Amino acid sequence: MIDLIIKNATQRKVRTILTICGIALGIFALVVMGAMSENFGQTFEKSMSLTSDKIRVFAQSGIFGSGLSEKKVSDVRHVAGVEDAYGVFVTLFDEDQFGMSGKQVLGVPPRKSRNVLEPVELKAGRFLTAGDTYGVVVGKNIAGEYGLDVGNTLELNKKKFTVVGILEYTGSIFDSYAIIPLDTAQKVYNANNSITYIFVQPAPGVDAELLARRIELSVKGVNTISPNELKEQASESLLIFSVVTISSAILAAIIGGLSVMNTMLMSVAERTREFGILKAMGAENKDIILLTLGEAALLGAIGGILGIITGSTATYVLNTWLASKGMVLFIITDRLLIIAMLFAIFIGMVSGTYPAYRAAKMSPMEALRHG
Amino acid sequence: MAEQILKVKDLSKTYMQGKIPVNAVRNVTFTVNQGELIAIMGPSGSGKSTLMALIGCLEKPTHGKILIKDVEVTAVSDRELPRIRREMIGFVFQHYNLLPSLSALGNVELAMRFAGINKKERLKKAEYLLQRLGLGERLHHRPNELSGGEQQRVSIARAIANNPSIILADEPTGEVDSVTRDKIVNIFEELRLHGQTIIIVTHDPEVAKHCDRVIRIKDGTLSHE
Ligand SMILES: Nc1ncnc2c1ncn2[C@@H]1O[C@H](COP(=O)(O)OP(=O)(O)O)[C@@H](O)[C@H]1O
Ligand SMILES: [Mg+2]
Repeated sequence: MIDLIIKNATQRKVRTILTICGIALGIFALVVMGAMSENFGQTFEKSMSLTSDKIRVFAQSGIFGSGLSEKKVSDVRHVAGVEDAYGVFVTLFDEDQFGMSGKQVLGVPPRKSRNVLEPVELKAGRFLTAGDTYGVVVGKNIAGEYGLDVGNTLELNKKKFTVVGILEYTGSIFDSYAIIPLDTAQKVYNANNSITYIFVQPAPGVDAELLARRIELSVKGVNTISPNELKEQASESLLIFSVVTISSAILAAIIGGLSVMNTMLMSVAERTREFGILKAMGAENKDIILLTLGEAALLGAIGGILGIITGSTATYVLNTWLASKGMVLFIITDRLLIIAMLFAIFIGMVSGTYPAYRAAKMSPMEALRHG
Repeated sequence: MAEQILKVKDLSKTYMQGKIPVNAVRNVTFTVNQGELIAIMGPSGSGKSTLMALIGCLEKPTHGKILIKDVEVTAVSDRELPRIRREMIGFVFQHYNLLPSLSALGNVELAMRFAGINKKERLKKAEYLLQRLGLGERLHHRPNELSGGEQQRVSIARAIANNPSIILADEPTGEVDSVTRDKIVNIFEELRLHGQTIIIVTHDPEVAKHCDRVIRIKDGTLSHE
């Protein structure tokens, strides 16, 4: 049967090619979006595995909120079960890019820098110390993008910083951090002593979840995010990200599928007489369905292979280009390729079902009288 | 007396053209013996093609029965019909109705595919049949590379490929010149010599001359035999 299917598909070359392109485009989108989502997911998982047991304390939002100050930090520090608490100031590394790169500047008390970054190790240099005013510890992506070594200069908000340490590569959010002293950060970014959140290190043996509740009860005007809540929030945003990317890709693939449906309907209508002949020769309905569905599946499969090749190539090229900027945006995984291929065939066949049914249910004599 | 291979009993077919019923075939009864070469003649629109479609199990009668080799094919279920068509009927059409994407060999071989014959055997038999019909040099030509007469011979090869009980030829010489027509009629005569039962619909008295018997149809009913 496959020889017949191929012969039919090659009868109308231009139309077949256009249809395959339609599917390929959809699968291309699926591969690219999927690769982005896979990368996001892997970064997320690594970040999660690196997220320690710390509690984050934020100012309560709304009319009762009054921002965070050193006073609040010391209030939090005095809650029973808190081993240490300190303020952290967070801002975007490159505000002009609206944070698209995911890079962040972290202002932390210099002596706490090791604690903030735990358990990530240094690849070179050292953490911040009390004497550092314009010292910076950078993650691997930033170091890569700007070609930084220890002792080099990095400009942040038009101020020159000296690189004192470079973090090891983690494949997580830590790769995109630039860590500078808190005081300097507040000055350089004109934040007059404001703090983004307070990092709380629970005392050994203290349950972080319970301690988070206790802090909310004992310090006015703050909310906490416990390690578990952080994981939940992050999982949620990961899920939303995945749903948005994958569903837009699936939509593209479905549009590709509609092009298959359209082509198959046209081809079935054109070949009405042919189906009549086949039936007069004693073809079973299943033969007719096999021919039609087979052609649709073939179009889907070829489109799928094409989409996978172009999608993988595009992500590879983009990754190579982004690597020079220290970024990784796509990961092509085996499961992504398998899903894309199966989806292409599936879409082809689903779109071929109705045309196949139309072809099969035709009365042979009507079909023969046709055209 | 020869075996009656086809029995048509009180056969009627009514089509609806919109809301108007058209009695394409009306109370037709006749029998055909094994090995007979029969001509069906009648004016255009008299129901000849409809009658062929009914005998070939491409349409269901509104009324009446058809028995081929004592099998009541009009009572066979839809699921079984393709098998009946494969095993009992071979069609030859006026417009040849070959698949344009397949070679002569491919078209003949295709008929045997649905019968579940293996590929080697199919190709062997298709080649043999085409050679017998003088198309040995044309095996790999597509229909659009063949003359009308050649195409009709391919379609005859296709019709006999599954050794059908009856060959139904609907105006097989309707579109060919007289020389080609005579060649095609010769083929039918030769098949008949081998005991093949054939029914030919024709307008051409020259074709009818070569037949054992002429069945005349007018307004869906048989006039006289
Ligand atoms: N599918 C159909 N629907 C409605 N009318 C039909 C159909 N097929 C045939 N007819 C009518 O039945 C009559 C006989 O047609 P047909 O068997 O093709 O005649 P012939 O082959 O003798 O020229 C004609 O009047 C034709 O219009
Ligand atoms: Mg006719």
